[in-house]
Amino acid sequence: MKSKLLLIAVMLTAGKAMAQQKHTISGTIKSKAKGETLIGATVRVSGGGGTTTNEYGFYSITLTDGKHKLEFSSMGLQAYQSEFVLRKDTVINISLEDESVSLGAVTITGTSTKRSLSTPQMGLEKLTTKEMKNVPVLLGERDAIKVIQLLPGIKSAGDGNAGMYVRGGAADQNLILLDEAPVYNASHLLGFFSTFNSDAIKDIAVYKGGMPAQYGGRLSSVLDIKMNDGNNQDFGVSGGIGLISAKLNVEGPIQKDKSSFLVTGRRTYADMFLKLSSDSSLNNNTLYFYDINAKMNYELGEKDKLYLSGYFGKDKLGVGDLFGLQWGNTTATLRWNHIFNNKLFSNTSLIYSNYDYTISINSGSVNADIYSKIRDYNLKEELQWYPSSSHNIRFGINSIYHTITPGQVTTSETSQINARTLEDRYSWENALYITDNWKMSDKLSATYGLRLSSFSILGKGDFFNLDKDGKILDTLHYKSGDFVKTYVNLEPRLALSYKLNSTSSLKASYVRNTQNLHLISNSTTSSPTDKWVASTNIIKPEISDQYSIGYYKDLFGGDYELTVETYYKSLQNQIDYRDGADVNTVSNAIESELLFGKGRAYGIEWLFKKRVGKFSGWLSYTLSKTERQIDGINNNKWYNARQDRTHDIAIVAMYQVSKKWTLSANWIYYTGDAVTYPSGKYQIDGQTVYYFTGRNTYRMPNYHRLDLGATLQLKKRKRWSSELAFSLYNAYGRENAYTITFEDSKEDPNKTVAKQTALFKFIPSISYNFKF
Amino acid sequence: MRNSYIYTILGSALLLGTACEKEIDLNLNGNDNKLVIEAVLTDTKGDCVVKLSRTKDFAADNSFAGVSGAKVQIYHNGDTTLLTETTTTGVYAAPELSGSGGNTYGLLVTLGNEQYTATSYMPSKVPMDSLSIVEEDLFGDITKVTNVSFKDPAGETNYYRFQQYIRGTKVKRYYVRNDDLTNGNDINARLYILGEDDDDHEYDINSGDEITVEMLNIDAAVYKYFFSLSSSATGESESATPANPVSNISGNAIGYFSAQTVERKTIIVP
Repeated sequence: MKSKLLLIAVMLTAGKAMAQQKHTISGTIKSKAKGETLIGATVRVSGGGGTTTNEYGFYSITLTDGKHKLEFSSMGLQAYQSEFVLRKDTVINISLEDESVSLGAVTITGTSTKRSLSTPQMGLEKLTTKEMKNVPVLLGERDAIKVIQLLPGIKSAGDGNAGMYVRGGAADQNLILLDEAPVYNASHLLGFFSTFNSDAIKDIAVYKGGMPAQYGGRLSSVLDIKMNDGNNQDFGVSGGIGLISAKLNVEGPIQKDKSSFLVTGRRTYADMFLKLSSDSSLNNNTLYFYDINAKMNYELGEKDKLYLSGYFGKDKLGVGDLFGLQWGNTTATLRWNHIFNNKLFSNTSLIYSNYDYTISINSGSVNADIYSKIRDYNLKEELQWYPSSSHNIRFGINSIYHTITPGQVTTSETSQINARTLEDRYSWENALYITDNWKMSDKLSATYGLRLSSFSILGKGDFFNLDKDGKILDTLHYKSGDFVKTYVNLEPRLALSYKLNSTSSLKASYVRNTQNLHLISNSTTSSPTDKWVASTNIIKPEISDQYSIGYYKDLFGGDYELTVETYYKSLQNQIDYRDGADVNTVSNAIESELLFGKGRAYGIEWLFKKRVGKFSGWLSYTLSKTERQIDGINNNKWYNARQDRTHDIAIVAMYQVSKKWTLSANWIYYTGDAVTYPSGKYQIDGQTVYYFTGRNTYRMPNYHRLDLGATLQLKKRKRWSSELAFSLYNAYGRENAYTITFEDSKEDPNKTVAKQTALFKFIPSISYNFKF
Repeated sequence: MRNSYIYTILGSALLLGTACEKEIDLNLNGNDNKLVIEAVLTDTKGDCVVKLSRTKDFAADNSFAGVSGAKVQIYHNGDTTLLTETTTTGVYAAPELSGSGGNTYGLLVTLGNEQYTATSYMPSKVPMDSLSIVEEDLFGDITKVTNVSFKDPAGETNYYRFQQYIRGTKVKRYYVRNDDLTNGNDINARLYILGEDDDDHEYDINSGDEITVEMLNIDAAVYKYFFSLSSSATGESESATPANPVSNISGNAIGYFSAQTVERKTIIVP
């Protein structure tokens, strides 16, 4: 380890040796129309070199004195060129104009919008608003998360399932951040919608490999979502009405050019139709969600800016008075940007995040509420330092205090259930990181860094020693403030890129990630009541080492892009369940239901994309394998993880027919998940029960589906524009298996049958969106 | 708390009314022809029965042939009782044998060169106070439900199993509970029959019907067996880990041995 630290020290000083007179250009890049700061906008220096803006639109570049031509550009906006002679440190703030007034008829030209072949970052997927807008989705509710799942290596967990699997990772191994706040359950309404209202989203980045050191805490991916700041130029309202939901977005300046606000809300109203039903088993039921995104920013001075953003969402589901379930996330982020000088940018964030659910049971004999939550208080401080044009260094600290309430049972006076509270669990997560983007030459670049993470389990509480069968040997009592255990991990991050020529490059990366929060679910389908559990003396931090190599090629003048990435992941301390595990009713020692072992995942991902022109879209194909080896499961042999899918294909096509009409289609196909089916049957007490020979040895039926979409731009007035969006989900009515159950045949009780339940056949929808 | 399945199906059906079911063919094989042991000893004479059978292919029919020719013994404190095979193949009985609460019993099955053993503790009996029928609003329908009342003893951990007979037909459901959240309370255990199709009336409870309930006190291992059986081996695949239930039998066999108390009550539905 010493040698690695030394290497970094050498690298950090390497850029300092040159002695020619230099000065720094810095500033902020915004969009002219709305005043939104632009993330990842490019500053290109003619004759070589350049930089991109950070997540707050800030850039800094140091050049030798003399005449320079700079080009500032960002996706979908007109590039701006500026020529000048550099003699002193200069601040250039730029506002870029919309590329084309007629929305939709966008033909992106110029070099500005090309992906960068020379940045070492790999395994990163970004979505453009155009892609988000036009890909057909279920019930017309645009959903960035659903579109992301059409990219290679990122797989939907299936119809009616909220989770996603990234490069063989489990659904809980994705770090989902909304304005830096972790979101613990990113789904609404049983996974049909994500918690992210696409109207409020400015930028989405998914890292499936090569995560930079500022991210940590989950093994498989980082989904970093940034909310819009709000229009600081003009007051604006937009909204939409669909078959089951409506939404409204209001934004405007607080002080023109300086500060703004944004409020976005959504509510589904499918349950109102239920009331119209004459079926008494339907019209008493509740089923809806709503959510609100709000944000404001305020410029304290030229060098200081404050951002306050929040999210609040709630889902409610009820079956008459009998059963109720409600769940929701709340997040709040307060950020302070401070520019120390033209080379040093600071951001301080205070973050609150809460996820909770309540189950209410109100039957004749049982009256009880069960409440559970996970709550974080989170502090981040990050400095970004631009010492020279070839280095961009970030370092920071992050400290999170987690409180988990695993289950509080409260009851009425007359209930036969006893009130009980499982002990709250406390933990303190800390990280220290440094990372440098180093442009070694025109061809070779590196991002390298280290993240030192620690996870402390705190008292008060009871912890356990277990034997190999999961029986409690003894109980250890800890007082409030006691440190039960601290896990420290050093996570190296390294990414390299080598530009082969002007149209192709090779990249390689290695990343280690650790994870101390684990989602325990005993169901094949995700549920809002799945439990988050922190590491304990028995549950060790999950560790993943991922190695990845990629090849990137621009074809036909950059109109087409080919990406091929391959990865190998080795995983430690993976969690699976004992046979017959009961993770819901056990008391404090949940570890007694779990088994631990290792995992491996590898695969190759192909993405062929046409980005520009009337016809655009992509073809994505993933070939992969995901396995686990856990003592106590399948005779200690390697077995397929649930999320193992051999083939995964997505084809997405969008076609701009005219100024009015845009058509789109996507088709997906994937190998069925690995699943446990019975191999035989027998009888207990006169009932047929099933005999199993191994975990995950069978497969769900293969999944495929075609969706169609069309958008009609309605007549525009001066400030008013509107559109109608049509979609047809599952156009050829494929009955994809949601679950498969086994039972004695109703027709012939002497036979047993396998029965498949599919959630959807065709789902047509129409929605109306407006903006003024 | 197996609600995820119910609410997801329910949710999607509510939302879209589109869920559809169909039978499919799966190539399931490799049943191992494993020995299945169902062994019961109660505190009542005539209840001591051991059934031996074997696992079958999924695609085979549901007639399960018994396994004859085994030597089946139940022992306690040095006393060993040999069960004799009845006229039904694979069913062994000891009509005069009963146990009593607070004792541990052993089972030894010898078949060919293989031996299978188990022990089970017969808990002391918790008396059933009453058996009644109550009406509940289940998913919008007023439904008659069997209700068993009893007082859970506070001083110990208790495990219960119930068997319900409607008009003489045994209900194909496993009813099993512990007192984890109900220790020491007056319990009204409702024997719900969920998951029936609307056009299926086999288990409908109507006025004048005869309802019989057996209340069993079982030990922790048998509770674990039936809990894991009902949560992961009855063919409803919402469990992430369908698996053979956790058996208390050692040797290469599946099934259970339960020394249990039993109390039966019968009522006529008013």
